[in-house]
Amino acid sequence: MVSTSPDRQTAPRRTPWPLKDLVLLVVLGVVFGFVYWVFVQAWTALSIAMGPAGDLAQHFLAGSWLLVAPLAIAIVQRPFAGVIAEVLASVIEVVFLGSAVGPMLFIAAAIQGVGSELPFAATRYRSYGWLTYALSGLMGAGLVFFYSALRFGWYGQDLFFTRLAIHLLSGVVLGGLLAKVIVEGLARTGVVDNFAIGQTRLAAGHGTR
Amino acid sequence: MSAPAVGRPAGAAAVGVLARRNPTVKLGLLFVVSLVLVFILDPVTPAVLYVLALIAVAASTRIAPRALALLHLPFAAFGLGVFLVNALSRPGEVLWSAGPLRITVEGLSVGASLALRTLVIGVLAIGFIASTDGVRLMHSLHQQARLGPRVTYAVLAGYRMLQEMPREWQTIRQAHAVRAPLRPDGTLPRGATALARASFALLVISVRKGERMAQSLESRGLGLSPRTTWRPVRLSAADWLMAAGVLAVLGAVLLVSAMLGHLEGIDALFG
Repeated sequence: MVSTSPDRQTAPRRTPWPLKDLVLLVVLGVVFGFVYWVFVQAWTALSIAMGPAGDLAQHFLAGSWLLVAPLAIAIVQRPFAGVIAEVLASVIEVVFLGSAVGPMLFIAAAIQGVGSELPFAATRYRSYGWLTYALSGLMGAGLVFFYSALRFGWYGQDLFFTRLAIHLLSGVVLGGLLAKVIVEGLARTGVVDNFAIGQTRLAAGHGTR
Repeated sequence: MSAPAVGRPAGAAAVGVLARRNPTVKLGLLFVVSLVLVFILDPVTPAVLYVLALIAVAASTRIAPRALALLHLPFAAFGLGVFLVNALSRPGEVLWSAGPLRITVEGLSVGASLALRTLVIGVLAIGFIASTDGVRLMHSLHQQARLGPRVTYAVLAGYRMLQEMPREWQTIRQAHAVRAPLRPDGTLPRGATALARASFALLVISVRKGERMAQSLESRGLGLSPRTTWRPVRLSAADWLMAAGVLAVLGAVLLVSAMLGHLEGIDALFG
C-alpha cells in the first residue's frame, strides 16, 4: 500500500528501528518492571520497618534501577536505545503497574537513560568492556542523583555526601557491572543471536553453536 | 508461592466521572501538577493541595474510603521517612537536641513539605490509575499525543506479556522446584539466589517471546499507513473544562498562599 499522507512513523529516516528491536526494549521494561515489583513488595515492608533508615537505604539499591539501559544498548547497539528503554520501562511501571511515584518517574528515567548511554555513545557503540559498563553505571547514577536530590530535598542535608557516595557505588556495581554479567549470560543462551549483539559475537568468532 | 495479580484485572471497567475523561489529558494534568509541586517547599501550600486533591479523587472515582486509605500506605510510609530524615539532618535553628541528634525548625518545615508533596502526587496518581484503563490510555496517546503506531502496539504487546507474567513466574518457580536441591528441612530455596535464577529465566523466556510477537505484528502489517482506528478515544469539551478547572484551582491556591506569605520556593533547601 502506498501512503498518500506522510505519517510521522514513515517519515524518511536514516535507518528506521526494526519492530523486533522496539519490542525487545519493551520486553526489557516489562520484565524488569515485574521483577522490581516482586522485590518492591518485600522492600516496602522492609523500608517501613526501618523507618528513617529506609530513606538512606534506598541508595544501596539505586543502581538496580539503571539495569535496563545498558542491557538495551548492548543488545541492540543503536543510538538512543538506553534512553528509549528507560522511558518505556517507566511508562510500564506508572501506567500498568500503578507506581504511585507518578509521572515524575518519566523524567527520572530519561535522565538515567542519558547518563547510562553517554559512555557507550562515546565509544560509538563499539566497546562493551567492563570499564564502559562501570562508567555507564556511574554516569547514570550520577546524573539522576542531582535530579532526585532536587525532588526529595537532599540538598542542604548533613547526609548529602554520604548519599552521593552510596548512590554512585551502587550505580557502578548494580547498574554497570551487573549489567555486563546479565548481558553475557543472555548472549550465552542464544536468545539474542538475532540482534546486533549476536552478529557482533558471530563476527568475533564465538557464536553459540 | 501464589501468583501475584498485576494491576487491575483486564476488562474490569473503571467507573466514576474521572473514568470518562480523556486519558491523555489526565496524564498531562498529573504531570503538570507534579512538576509544579517540585518547586514548592513550604508545608502549608501542599497541605491545602492535598486536601483538595483527596476530595476531588474521592468524589470523582468510586474508590471506597477504606481502599483509598490502604492505597496511601506505601507512600505515606515513604513520606514519614523523608520527614524524619529531614527533621534530623538539616542545619538551622535548633529546637531540640540529644547527643548527635537534633531537630531544627528548617528541617521540620522542609520535611513536612516534602512529605505532603509525596501525599499529593500519591493521591493524584491513585486517582489516575484507578480511573484509567491502560489499553485506552495507549490508544489515546496514539490518537491525541501522536505516539507512533509501532511504539503504541509494542507497548500494548508488552502489557499483554505483563498480564501473563505472574503465571510464567509461577511456572518457572515450579520447574525449578522439581529439580532444585531442597533445603535440609525439605522446603524450596527462597533466598536471593533462587529469585535471581528465576528472574533470569523469566528474562530469557520473555526475550524469546518478544521476538515471536514482533514477527507476528509485522506479518499482520503493523506500521502501514494510513491507519484506521477501532474504537476511537474522544477528546470532548468536558476534558478541556477539567483541565482548565484543575489548573485554575492550582493557580488560585498558589496565588493565595503567596499573598498570605506562606509560599516558599526551592531556595528553602539551601537557606
